[in-house]
Amino acid sequence: MTEAHIMEKLTEILVEEFEVEADEVTPDANFFTDLDMDSLDAIDLIVSMDKALGITLKAEDAQKIRTAGEFVQLILSRV
Amino acid sequence: MRRVVITGVGLLSPLGNDMATLQEGLESQRSGVKHMADWSQYKDFETRVCGIVDWDDYKSIPRKSRRSMGRVALLAAKTMQDAVADSGLSEALVSNPRTGISFGSTMGADEVLFDYITDITNNQSFQGQNSMGFLQIMSHTVAANMAAMFKIRGRNIPSCSACTSSSMAIGIGYESIKYGQSDIMFVGGSEGAHAYNAGIFEIMGATSRRYNDTPDQTPRPFDSERDGLVTAEGGGTLVLEEYEHAKKRGAKIYAEVIGYATSCDGEHITTPSNEGMEQVMRLALDDAGITSDAVGYVNAHATSTPKGDIAESHATYAVFGSDTPISSTKGYMGHLLGGCGVVESIIGLISLQSGLLPANKNLVKVDESCAPLDYLFEHRHGTHDIVMNNNFAFGGINTSLIFKKI
Repeated sequence: MTEAHIMEKLTEILVEEFEVEADEVTPDANFFTDLDMDSLDAIDLIVSMDKALGITLKAEDAQKIRTAGEFVQLILSRV
Repeated sequence: MRRVVITGVGLLSPLGNDMATLQEGLESQRSGVKHMADWSQYKDFETRVCGIVDWDDYKSIPRKSRRSMGRVALLAAKTMQDAVADSGLSEALVSNPRTGISFGSTMGADEVLFDYITDITNNQSFQGQNSMGFLQIMSHTVAANMAAMFKIRGRNIPSCSACTSSSMAIGIGYESIKYGQSDIMFVGGSEGAHAYNAGIFEIMGATSRRYNDTPDQTPRPFDSERDGLVTAEGGGTLVLEEYEHAKKRGAKIYAEVIGYATSCDGEHITTPSNEGMEQVMRLALDDAGITSDAVGYVNAHATSTPKGDIAESHATYAVFGSDTPISSTKGYMGHLLGGCGVVESIIGLISLQSGLLPANKNLVKVDESCAPLDYLFEHRHGTHDIVMNNNFAFGGINTSLIFKKI
């Protein structure tokens, strides 16, 4: 699983499920301050990424993520 | 005593999504009941008719509000958007601590409930469930979502009581304003269509099955050839407002709510009681301070079940005798369950505005077991200024609302 693949899936989910514009999804994009998401969105993003990538993140992980780039690194550290 | 008036209306019904279209549907005796071919997927399930709302513009609801809504709450949200716009209320008044809400439905989002329970049961795990499933299926999903979406700061009293959910909401709003707890109340309810709703009634032998290929001919309230109820979806929102408050801001006023009562049969869980129905009508008349001869039109609950229509007809006869025009408008669209009380109240407002006394669609020959009421076989036009709307629910819950032209 590559960083690019994870970023691609993340972008896909953010666009389709969270109605974020694709060009807004950059490694520095903050989910909460830039992409208008909140704590419930963070939980649901983790559920969707779990399904998309066949991984198992925990609900607590939702409290750790801030930016798209950090989230990708968190996933990489778990696989 | 503080008076309560209606200053905004929003609705989604199988017969139309605004008052003008609803009125046109009644006048032309259209039917909003459709054939449901895909219900054949359920074994030993015969009914194939349902009242369907033509609206699925979900993107008109902002994402963060929409995410915790199933269809039942989405329908309500659209009607509340329309009602708020219709009322002309400012954001400040909508979010005033003296502005509250009351909404209800029979069920949360049925379509979500099925998948949620099935997944958890099959997997024996909660893994993979997102945070929104419960918020979409919980009993007060409509009231909770309306409060969050419209930034309500006042009271929120969910009125989930099956088929009286939205009539009770109107009553709660009326009493909240009348007794000084609120100045404005957004009230109503809704229901989403699903085979689940129809299945519940089919188990009890209460669904219509003989008109699957001629859906416009069912349900048939009070008719000797009726064979059961037809479930439907839809709902509405009324903006209730204290009269002086409404006058002061120059609001458009549809009508005054002058009477409301709710009571229990205290007997059987599903079989209706003549006495309970009669009592609630009398209590509502007492609340309004009028006698039955002042009422110019009664919108009956009559769902087209054998027992319910007979019981209601005798209860109504005991209160009104044979001289008050009566119809059940479920013949046009089916039974909106949690949404029926508000939509049928809106039909009462149309009647007050236009004089239309809507016919009992599909009533050809009155069941001989029904009481001798003034059943509307065809439309009439009246000069009445007071209407009553009655609704009844499982649990022997009764509501009666009285509206007056102003």
